[in-house]
Amino acid sequence: MPETIAFQEPKRSVLARRDAIVEDLADLLPPGCLISEKRGLVPFETDAFIAYRQVPLAVALPETTAQVAAVLKYCSRYGIPVVPRGAGTSLSGGAIPQADAVVIGLSKMSRILDIDLANRAAIVQAGVTNINISEAVSANGFFYAPDPSSQLACTIGGNIGMNSGGAHCLKYGVTTNNLLGVKLVLFDGTVIDLGGKALDAAGYDLLGLVCGSEGQLGIVTEATVRLIARPEGARPVLFGFPSSEEAGACVAEVIGSGIIPVAIEFMDKPAIAICEAFAQAGYPMDVEALLIVEVEGSEAEMEAMLASIIEIAGRHGVSTIRESQSATEAALIWKGRKSAFGATGRIADYICMDGTVPLSQLSHVLKRTGEIVAGYGLRVANVFHAGDGNMHPLILYNINDPEDAARAEAAGNDILRLCVDAGGCLTGEHGVGIEKRDLMLHQFSQIDLNQQMAVRAAFDPHWIMNPSKVFPLEGRPAA
Amino acid sequence: MSSPFEPETEAEIADIVRAAAEAGTALAIMGGATRSGFGNRVAAQQPLTTRNLSGITSYNPAEMTMSAKAGTPMAEIEAALLENRQMLAFEPIDHRGIMGTSGEPTIGGVFAANVSGPRRLTAGAARDHLLGIRFVNGMGEVIRSGGRVMKNVTGLDLVKLLCGSHGTLGILTEVTFKVLPLPPASATVVVFGFDDAQAAGAMAHALALPVEVSGAAHLTESVRYRFIGSSHPEGAATVLRLEGLAASVSVRAEKLRSAFSAVAPVALLDRKATETLWRDIRDVKPYADGTQKPLWRVSVTPTMGHQLVAALRLAAGVDAFYDWQGGLVWLRMEADAEGDMLRRYIKGLGGGHATLIRASDAVRAATPAFEPEAPGIASLSARIKEKLDPKGIFNPGKMG
Amino acid sequence: MQTNFTPEQLADPHVAESESILRKCVHCGFCTATCPTYVTLGNELDSPRGRIYLIKDMLENSRPADEEVVTHIDRCLSCLACVTTCPSGVDYMHLVDHARVHIEKTYRRPLKDRLARVVLAAVLPYPGRFRLALKAARLGRPLAGLMKRLPFLKTFGIMLDLAPARLAPGSAALMPGTHAATAPKRGRVALLTGCAQPVLRPEINAATVRLLTRLGVEVVLPAGEGCCGALVHHMGREEQALEAARRNVDVWTRAADEGGLDAIIITASGCGTTIKDYGHMLRLDPAYAEKAARVSALAKDVTEYLAGLDLPRREAMNRTVAYHSACSMQHGQKITLAPKILLKNAGFTVRDPAEGHLCCGSAGTYNILQPEISATLKARKVGNIEATRAEIIATGNIGCITQIATGTAIPILHTVELLDWAYGGVCPQELETAGMAQ
Repeated sequence: MPETIAFQEPKRSVLARRDAIVEDLADLLPPGCLISEKRGLVPFETDAFIAYRQVPLAVALPETTAQVAAVLKYCSRYGIPVVPRGAGTSLSGGAIPQADAVVIGLSKMSRILDIDLANRAAIVQAGVTNINISEAVSANGFFYAPDPSSQLACTIGGNIGMNSGGAHCLKYGVTTNNLLGVKLVLFDGTVIDLGGKALDAAGYDLLGLVCGSEGQLGIVTEATVRLIARPEGARPVLFGFPSSEEAGACVAEVIGSGIIPVAIEFMDKPAIAICEAFAQAGYPMDVEALLIVEVEGSEAEMEAMLASIIEIAGRHGVSTIRESQSATEAALIWKGRKSAFGATGRIADYICMDGTVPLSQLSHVLKRTGEIVAGYGLRVANVFHAGDGNMHPLILYNINDPEDAARAEAAGNDILRLCVDAGGCLTGEHGVGIEKRDLMLHQFSQIDLNQQMAVRAAFDPHWIMNPSKVFPLEGRPAA
Repeated sequence: MSSPFEPETEAEIADIVRAAAEAGTALAIMGGATRSGFGNRVAAQQPLTTRNLSGITSYNPAEMTMSAKAGTPMAEIEAALLENRQMLAFEPIDHRGIMGTSGEPTIGGVFAANVSGPRRLTAGAARDHLLGIRFVNGMGEVIRSGGRVMKNVTGLDLVKLLCGSHGTLGILTEVTFKVLPLPPASATVVVFGFDDAQAAGAMAHALALPVEVSGAAHLTESVRYRFIGSSHPEGAATVLRLEGLAASVSVRAEKLRSAFSAVAPVALLDRKATETLWRDIRDVKPYADGTQKPLWRVSVTPTMGHQLVAALRLAAGVDAFYDWQGGLVWLRMEADAEGDMLRRYIKGLGGGHATLIRASDAVRAATPAFEPEAPGIASLSARIKEKLDPKGIFNPGKMG
Repeated sequence: MQTNFTPEQLADPHVAESESILRKCVHCGFCTATCPTYVTLGNELDSPRGRIYLIKDMLENSRPADEEVVTHIDRCLSCLACVTTCPSGVDYMHLVDHARVHIEKTYRRPLKDRLARVVLAAVLPYPGRFRLALKAARLGRPLAGLMKRLPFLKTFGIMLDLAPARLAPGSAALMPGTHAATAPKRGRVALLTGCAQPVLRPEINAATVRLLTRLGVEVVLPAGEGCCGALVHHMGREEQALEAARRNVDVWTRAADEGGLDAIIITASGCGTTIKDYGHMLRLDPAYAEKAARVSALAKDVTEYLAGLDLPRREAMNRTVAYHSACSMQHGQKITLAPKILLKNAGFTVRDPAEGHLCCGSAGTYNILQPEISATLKARKVGNIEATRAEIIATGNIGCITQIATGTAIPILHTVELLDWAYGGVCPQELETAGMAQ
């Protein structure tokens, strides 16, 4: 395992009190809600960013907001770091613990509390999975829009922590644009309610600040989210191209022409092969690049939009166009796309990048990405949200080979720097986590970061909340 | 009041702020001052305007983003967008009418006050379109947050924090925001004669249909003539806007019309009438009346709006109409502001907040403009303010 | 994911296989979402990803199983929903099989658990013993409440509860022999008689024989065939399972060599999953590897086989059926559409209950060994089924039938019983009683 990203030095005072802490926590939680034996802790040592691992001190699985508050109050009193965890699907290591930390897992808080269709809002506990919200209101013709590819498993609490996006965010926005309120437990156990079912709230936009704060400002235990009426119809269409450059140029022209489909997803040849192997969705295998373009609305609207898109695609040498013919086919097309990362496991270990670049830079960055990865003697598969320039190069490597792993990490860092230099950013939807923490100074100045850390300290003055993440360990304010 | 600072560069602003922080001089921050009546009275003698910090710094229509210095006039931005058939989807309000101000609203002012119009219901607020900012904090440091791409979760989202902070946390110097294509067609379905409660139900129904309503307002009987004149059937008008491709708008309009035509008279407004109507709703035209009658902007759960108004009507002279499916209530009080009663009723109905947008100086002095925050949140807000503006020199008192 | 085995450890083919399975997992967490125990308990240790980690840790350290590991592996239903969900193709089935064998070899369970398992393994696979036990159970039923309150006897109290009140007479079960086709012959198949199923519900195989022979298929019930071994296999009793597998492989190989076989028909999908895995289970046995692979290739669920016979479309019969797909059917064998298409073509209106991917909690002996989780899952399943407002429940596994029947008043039948009825056989007694015979 490459040791290039350091965890915060564990507090010896906390480690020394381990047994006492476990005993105290057991008093605060119902039976079966505390894990403290070494065996049981190991499975919590990482999330979906498996390159880094650290077994925590204990794992608390509270069932109520009051229990979350009690655990936080206790931890803050003794300066014990806390790492919140939803479903542990973070690709940036957002839920990776540290040796002196208590993990607070929200997986037992998975009830939908209120569905209010007249106000198009739902109140759910933080451990409810993203897809469960849409499923709960689907029979009534509604859905919850942000759809990270891990939506089957990831929780709304985790989505809020990372301000998650997804394929359909091109039209509907990301989590922060679809979040109306949260119940938040602060570091000292104080419980506050931010926002509600109204479209805006008084005072500073603390809700906007909390969304995407990676569990460093507090722990969300409930969320009020916006529901949207499902469009009359939706149709994904596959466009195959003889080169990635042409596909990229097609995306830029579609957006530039004023057409905004619900989603434009890009896959290169290796990614197509990976996804097809799992989903058997009927992706064309003889093309170099594939776009999944989804249009929605009435039949007339879909037809009109498609006609324009097909015309543009024609100018960029499209070689295959295939419209989904049924709901089942459409579902398969999306299943393949959304399983892309996991399906990569069939052929190799991977790390997944998440930089976003301006659309005009897409073709250039794609090309350079290929060169960078090849330069390290590795392979890459590209599958990403092209419409908003959010790239996901998957760098394939062998995690059992430390040198390979180090090369993959170095290649990833080069790609992220490339994204920033192209006018973009380190992360579009996965979060900084631990993965991109040490690159933050490539995007921000120390003064910028100081300001962010100062605001962070307004919420968590002693840095106990997920402290190893987001901000480089050096340059932090003295505790 | 001293003569205002009118810096022309970000560096100048930083210098001024550093000096002010050192001297403990409080600054009244403004753009075009068309909204400077917002909030509580600012305890500062020294104005600072960003209006000379002006100009679009980058605009790439194909990427749907624009960057502009904070003092850029809205008129300049809107003209540039129109040339490329694009728009600010959140429809920022022009407050000059209701505030009785003149001058040029600026893009910095729009984001500092998080000003959003009717399309906020479906397209999001100003804060949802703001991608990146540069600002000067209370120590005179220049801070960047966000960026110029659509998706960006790198670091703490100070963009959201600054948006709507009314110049109390920092001085915006440059903003980068999302722009969207202008819909090629639009229409409005008008349903006549619903009372407020029926209208709330009708708007909820319309938004549950797969027709993508992009604006839902209820123009009560007392104000509807200011919006759509008298050539239509009588009574209040519930208006539902549709936008998109021409073929699609007409199909959806027909669907929407048939959803209501059995129970009430329905009319259809064409594109031109639609544009005028929604601009007037956006700018709260009926209450742009040249008076100082207290004007409230109330944000509540959409189905609660009409209950609140019904309760108020029993106790005070009040005129009202609704936007955002009933969740945004524009309330004009005939005499007293009745802030305590209003806020008590809002609380009783399950929450929301009321902002006093306009009132006489005497009323403003006696009524907190913004909803008082719950204690836990208020202390958090104070700590945040302290982290950005430790000397308390930016718009002191404005937000309470 | 990263693994850490020594070359010496990898010399063991079982460890080597587990290592290659573990290497495919990328820890994406998708499996947690469809895992019935994670959904119920909300603890990652009770999810596939957590169990994979526990197994990895145990195997990498060549450590005997301990209570923590056993607790969470025991809670696994082996429903294999995770295998359907997993995009990376992690073969969880064979990993957990290996873990269970390792547990059985290295862990000494508390006496009461051992006793319960010994009894289950000694009774369930043997129809004669099972029938006797059920008769005794009817006499013992009044004691069930008392026994469940005594920790030591709890498991037996639960067994009494699950024993059906009605028991078919022994003679109702089919005897070994050949049932000739009654229409022009178009095929020859062997039918797995099974162990628990013919005791609990002999109607299933009877309906299968009636339907197949009417369709022109000769059905052989070879002498000497017995339990498929699934029950003991899932308890980690590897030798006992392999013994059952070898015996059946011999019997069917003989039947195939004598008169030719188009398929080995299985009417309990739990058994089908295991028999289709014989090739893998016996891969290291040079004397059986090839024969077992042949048997596995011949094994077919009855609906899978019927789907190939091109049955005529029947007029709609105005009866709604909720189709419950057994885990071993949909996840173990990936048979999802065939049973529903058969039912639709036979004239039934078919409804899919919500959360169809979730297990009903039966899972072999799971409802006996893990009664609390099983009861929660049963209630959830029954709720979803009843929400469809169907009149009949159809499924393809005796375990699900027994489990769900104790939770709802809606009659639950094997798919083949409904098909036999629709295609000119007899109306199942439950439906006649409910006044649904036409």
